[in-house]
Amino acid sequence: MTSTAPYRTPQPARRGSATSERATAIKRGYKARLRRGDLLETIVYFSVAIVLALFLADGGATYFINIKDVATGVGIVTGLVGSDLLLIMLILAARIPAIDRTFGHDKALALHRKLGKPVLYLILAHMLLLMIGYGIAQGLNPVAEAVDMIVNQQDMSIAFIAMGLLILVVVTSLVIVRRKLSYEFWYIVHLLSYGAILLALPHQFTQGMMFAEGTWARWYWMALYVGALASITICRVIVPIASSLRHDLRVSEVVIEAPGVVSVTMRGRELDALRAQGGQFFQWRFWAPGFFWQSHPYSLSAHPDGRSLRITVRDLGKGSARLLKIKPGTRVSFEGPYGLFTQEARTTNKAVFVGAGIGITPIRALLEASDLAPHEATVILRGSDNTDVYLWQETYDLCVEKSASLRVLVGHRPRGVNTWLSAEAYGKGESLLTLAPKIKESDLYICGPTPWTELVIRDAQRLGLKDHQIHAERFDF
Amino acid sequence: MRSGSAFMAGLGSAAIIAIGWQAGVGTLTSALPQSGASASGTSNAAGSSSGTSSSSSSSASTDTSSQAATTAPAASGAADGTYDGSVVNTRFGTVQVQAVISGGKITDVIAVKLTDADRKSVAISQQVAPMVRSEVLTAQSAKVANISGGTYTTQAYLQSLQSALDAAGFTG
Repeated sequence: MTSTAPYRTPQPARRGSATSERATAIKRGYKARLRRGDLLETIVYFSVAIVLALFLADGGATYFINIKDVATGVGIVTGLVGSDLLLIMLILAARIPAIDRTFGHDKALALHRKLGKPVLYLILAHMLLLMIGYGIAQGLNPVAEAVDMIVNQQDMSIAFIAMGLLILVVVTSLVIVRRKLSYEFWYIVHLLSYGAILLALPHQFTQGMMFAEGTWARWYWMALYVGALASITICRVIVPIASSLRHDLRVSEVVIEAPGVVSVTMRGRELDALRAQGGQFFQWRFWAPGFFWQSHPYSLSAHPDGRSLRITVRDLGKGSARLLKIKPGTRVSFEGPYGLFTQEARTTNKAVFVGAGIGITPIRALLEASDLAPHEATVILRGSDNTDVYLWQETYDLCVEKSASLRVLVGHRPRGVNTWLSAEAYGKGESLLTLAPKIKESDLYICGPTPWTELVIRDAQRLGLKDHQIHAERFDF
Repeated sequence: MRSGSAFMAGLGSAAIIAIGWQAGVGTLTSALPQSGASASGTSNAAGSSSGTSSSSSSSASTDTSSQAATTAPAASGAADGTYDGSVVNTRFGTVQVQAVISGGKITDVIAVKLTDADRKSVAISQQVAPMVRSEVLTAQSAKVANISGGTYTTQAYLQSLQSALDAAGFTG
């Protein structure tokens, strides 16, 4: 096994501090995170309540007096709530630091994905119900009403285009998730959603009577849109560009770790200011020919030392394979750091780290970053063969340094059994509990392929671990 | 989310909605008796102004003589008089206006009937009609900009006005 450590700066463990003191600090951090999370969730509920309140304050209840107006009333409500949730989806995808540090990037995106279909249905209902409701009022059938809107009404033609774009975005997103289409295709399709949002905006002010000129509701609604669009512009465009320029990151070394696996070390200015932690990932873009048009998410494979950042990448996609050819000096721009697969996510003073294949690399960086008393941590590594346990030597050294127990499970999984263990370990009757006896009072960090990760989580839940103790990093967008 | 926080979030949301309801309940009570009145106020002949939709200009609608060309045509090609516009249906109620032509100029636009399907439409009518009227009088044309927030009222108003101007033979 070839394993080189070009540089490594061990995080000095605070051995002097008492265990109980550290446990209190971890608990306090966890409580603060819970409070932040509850606050953010409350804001979401309030935002929905506020649009409903604005609708009622505007006399919305009058739609429900006569049966002929009910379709219109419900249509307006679905449009309002749908738009509100659409903006929340936007905010969830904006990678705002406060949200990332509270829920983690993956959970925010999971919620973003979960909202996609309901939002589409709400906005579709808005369109169909108003075609019916306004059609009744005008004595037209819904289709004729739609034609009348498109032809005669201000901003309605672009609103229908926006609807079409929204359907396209949600449907292709669902297909992409299922069929695993390329990241680049997914990215371009997602840009259309901004078009949909902007094209749908004018009709809300010119057609919707709720947001007529001179109303408070108009200002609130405008502020909501400005806030959502500004947050995504700032966090996903301005900050990454400014940060990339400021830190002037360049490739300093490319090292082959194993067949098809390379470590790329990058150096830059004032990297301390990034406050990146082991376990986090960045979205990287290498300014090399044939490379710059795509960016990839890779986790750090070492805790940043303030002067350099390192990633370790396996030949997963087309982009990764060519990383080998990248020359030192290549400029690198980035978005990040992102993710809550960090020391900050701790809820207890003990930890168990489980990594498989290339998933070992963030585990290694996290282990390096973690503040652990001796014998409080267990590291479980999994590879289908010996060459598959990447960064083995470095991880071994870290375990020795932190007095963590290390278990390595090599070999294929047993046939016909749904387990994350190797056949050998499974045959010996090993389990999460035998490998890490203190697991029930530990935080469990898992990084590996998604189906394998799910199996580890299943076993952990069967042992009675709570959701807040389980931290999983999934390699998907 | 912890149960305590969930409870507070639910309570707060309910309170927000209750405030909204309280702010809007006035519109609800006033909408109830009005639904009968607005039904009677549909497209009538010129001169009988609709009570629910009276705009600031409709007070002048008592002294009109219907579609009478009383004096000689002026430069615009239209004879002095008051001309009825067509009745335009919108989803918020019917709209009809009259054009008063004097000395070849549009001197007034009288709203006979404006959008009044609900209380909100009445409010918009009252806000929008004077604005459109003054735009029309300034431009001496029914081709003026839309007033946002009152698109239906504006467009129906202008459509009715255009038919009145056509009837008058008004060419600007």
